[in-house]
Amino acid sequence: MVDPQPSSLLDTLQQTADLAAWLARDPVARARTGQQPHAVIHRQNKAALRYFAPAHDRGRTPLFISMPLINTWNIFDLLPGRSVVGALVQADLPVYLLDWGRPGPEDQAVRLADLVDDLLPRAADRALRHARQHGGAQALDALGYCVGGTFLAIALARDPGPFQRMGLLAAPIDFHASGRLSTWARPETFPLDDIIDGFGNFPRALMRGSFAMLRPTGQVAKYKGLLDRGQDPAFRSLWAAMEQWNTDNVDFPGETYREYLRRCYFDNALVAGGWSLAGSPVDLGAARLPAMALAAESDHICPPAAAFGLARTWGGPVQTRLIPGGHVGVCVSPRLPRALLDWLDTPLPTGDVHDSPHLAPDPA
Amino acid sequence: MAQSDGSADFRKLGDQMYQQWEQAMTTWWDQVLESPDFLKASGENLSQMAQARKKYETAVDEGLGQLHLPTRGDLVRVARIATLLEERLLQVEDTMLAMRDQVESLERETVQARIEAAEARLELRERLAELQARLDAVGTVPAPVPAPTVSAAPPRSPAARPRAPRKPTGRSE
Repeated sequence: MVDPQPSSLLDTLQQTADLAAWLARDPVARARTGQQPHAVIHRQNKAALRYFAPAHDRGRTPLFISMPLINTWNIFDLLPGRSVVGALVQADLPVYLLDWGRPGPEDQAVRLADLVDDLLPRAADRALRHARQHGGAQALDALGYCVGGTFLAIALARDPGPFQRMGLLAAPIDFHASGRLSTWARPETFPLDDIIDGFGNFPRALMRGSFAMLRPTGQVAKYKGLLDRGQDPAFRSLWAAMEQWNTDNVDFPGETYREYLRRCYFDNALVAGGWSLAGSPVDLGAARLPAMALAAESDHICPPAAAFGLARTWGGPVQTRLIPGGHVGVCVSPRLPRALLDWLDTPLPTGDVHDSPHLAPDPA
Repeated sequence: MAQSDGSADFRKLGDQMYQQWEQAMTTWWDQVLESPDFLKASGENLSQMAQARKKYETAVDEGLGQLHLPTRGDLVRVARIATLLEERLLQVEDTMLAMRDQVESLERETVQARIEAAEARLELRERLAELQARLDAVGTVPAPVPAPTVSAAPPRSPAARPRAPRKPTGRSE
């Protein structure tokens, strides 16, 4: 590893100049993410179901991943060596990743029910059919990240489909424990209807600005970090790739956002209850699948308390686990694939288990 | 390579200054970003931005409409129709896949039934063969030989000796 500490003031200035020259070459735009080989096996509207073949076919139960609707999917495949899906397929796990795509103005009428009762179950069905043909799998495991996890929980509570267990990573369930986002998303001060009626979809620029304001000093902190560690080429590559992903937001379908924000952030209906979606109740307590809630210790978008709300609401047995890192940083940490593989290697519970043991934090 | 004391101090001072600045700014921003006044003001600002955007979009659409050019609304409607058509096709695909599942299930059941029928026929044949073998064993037991009778008439030539009628043995061919 390159020693980041300069030996003199002149070296400091030289390194700063090198960084400036590197930044001037626009490394963010030239970063290449999502390089893990895969095939798109199903499409619906802008969504795509991506299949990552395992390194060796050992007949493992495939993993179906529901990504967030806020950024692009390649945070799970940022760079070689910093790829969740790469690590999983190296462990001989077939992976089906649901990429929700980039909604356009024509998608402002897409409702939450269209996603959780139609698009997601259909993608799961196609994944299972593909898995049967390519390995004989009869069931799938499910993982949801961030809001993709929240939607996955809603969908599986209504119909477990072909899934035998569910894992949620940094997925808020208790939205009144979501820190600053909970404070901002209040019906008295947040003009939800005006925004959706005016913009159609929730604009990606507004989403990006909101997340940036969660930690206003973060914009300076990232350059400070680059200054401290930018002499390491691997760090530079990671920095550029993360910056590209962070700024590559997508619009959020308008009617989906309206329902999501009103029911989840305003009403906290996943905890409080009383939510009827397309004529049928949203009741996490009706679920019977075994589940695991993973939370990142330093997550200010989905604090652990928001993620662990699953343990109080889910009807099936729930395990909880803390992983060091932030909401996004956890995805590029090698700890996450290890935690996922540990969970997937755990035998399914045979009976009702109403305890929710808090597993020990992932050892450093 | 060892650091000079000057650069080490400079760097350390810079880090300390940065940390103090970050701490102070974080504290200040925490107070601002969660204050009721800020929330109210930002909400009103967002509302006005959204309303202005809507008026702008409407004005642009009206202008394009007067020029008989396709408006943004027209393009959105066409794209929406395309997605709805795709949805219909996917529903048809779902139906066809479900039908294929049923056909494959029927095929499996038919094959299974044929296998079971063939096995039943084989078993039946084996049992019939076993029964035939038992019957054959009963049929080959020799009948008791009748005692010879004395006849007064001299033996005739074989050519003139009438043949005795053949007694049925009860054996099936």
